[in-house]
Amino acid sequence: MKPVECEFESEVLAATLQSRWPERVDADLRAHVVTCAICSDVVAIGGAFDNARERMRTSVTLPDSGRVWWLAQLRARREAAEAAGRPITAAQVIAFACAVGLLGACFGATSKWFQSALGWVGSSVAGVDMKAVLPSAAALVAGHGVLLIAAAAVLFVVPTAVYLALGRE
Amino acid sequence: MTFTDVSRAETLDDASAAFVMDEDAFRAFYERTARGVWAYLARVTGDRQLADDLLQETFYRFLRAAATHDSEAHRRNSLYRIATNLARDARRRSLIRAPFSVSCDDIERVPSSEHGGAAERMADFTRAMSHLKPRERAMLWLAYAEGASHREIADVLGLRPGSLKPMLFRARRRLAALLGRAPDGGKR
Repeated sequence: MKPVECEFESEVLAATLQSRWPERVDADLRAHVVTCAICSDVVAIGGAFDNARERMRTSVTLPDSGRVWWLAQLRARREAAEAAGRPITAAQVIAFACAVGLLGACFGATSKWFQSALGWVGSSVAGVDMKAVLPSAAALVAGHGVLLIAAAAVLFVVPTAVYLALGRE
Repeated sequence: MTFTDVSRAETLDDASAAFVMDEDAFRAFYERTARGVWAYLARVTGDRQLADDLLQETFYRFLRAAATHDSEAHRRNSLYRIATNLARDARRRSLIRAPFSVSCDDIERVPSSEHGGAAERMADFTRAMSHLKPRERAMLWLAYAEGASHREIADVLGLRPGSLKPMLFRARRRLAALLGRAPDGGKR
């Protein structure tokens, strides 16, 4: 099995990072690097990383630590306020739904018009002959199958697309 | 004051107290680590602007994590792990919106006073890095720019220490081949 690490790797890397390579290192180490694929790779990339790190660290202007702390405080407070408000909003929604349900139940129990309409719908449904309806429904599906599948796909795809788009926002 | 107001006020106090360190400790930690984290983010994402944004987010999430650390090294690892996850998420978002590409020329700003050789070598390095996978860039940067141990790199990147060594070996081979340099510093 091919070795993936070498015992001299850290020594070679240190020499590279401390700009001692190749003049100020032992001749034995130099000879080893020539024959060791791992150490020769370390020499090849070590200096480049060192230069890149120094350059990147010195070229950037970072925000002040006090400003980062202050922004973090503000954001934590805002998120805490939102989190505290969330159960209240949920309770308000539930209370509103209960009130609407109660109102609907009172209306249904007391309105003669609603009860007669409900009775008419019930008798209409009971009067439908399912054996007669099924073949015509099957014929409709067979005749307009592609259209129905497309409509079903749109009904599924559009809400999904809207959800994904809003989710990414 | 209603019960709701009292509850909110308590939550706000909790939010301030939830940070893992006080302001002085945070500022000292930030001064020690921010440049390194920024360089890591810029190199992994290939985008200075994105690195600026992710740096702030990294420190915010670090503060909000409310985790206790037994050493400075452990604290740094947590910070780099958060940065790694944020960079990975940013890359996934970029993959959905547009093909992710490393804008090599924008990573390093070469001073105008600098002449050919060094600037050219840096451009070569940046170009070579851009051909690596983000995870390869991350592990190489942690190993050779940050001097992290194999265990620390595995911890930051969420890998098993045993599987890191061959991955690091392959990434190093690829980069060395892309740089095309011989051990004496000359071109192969």
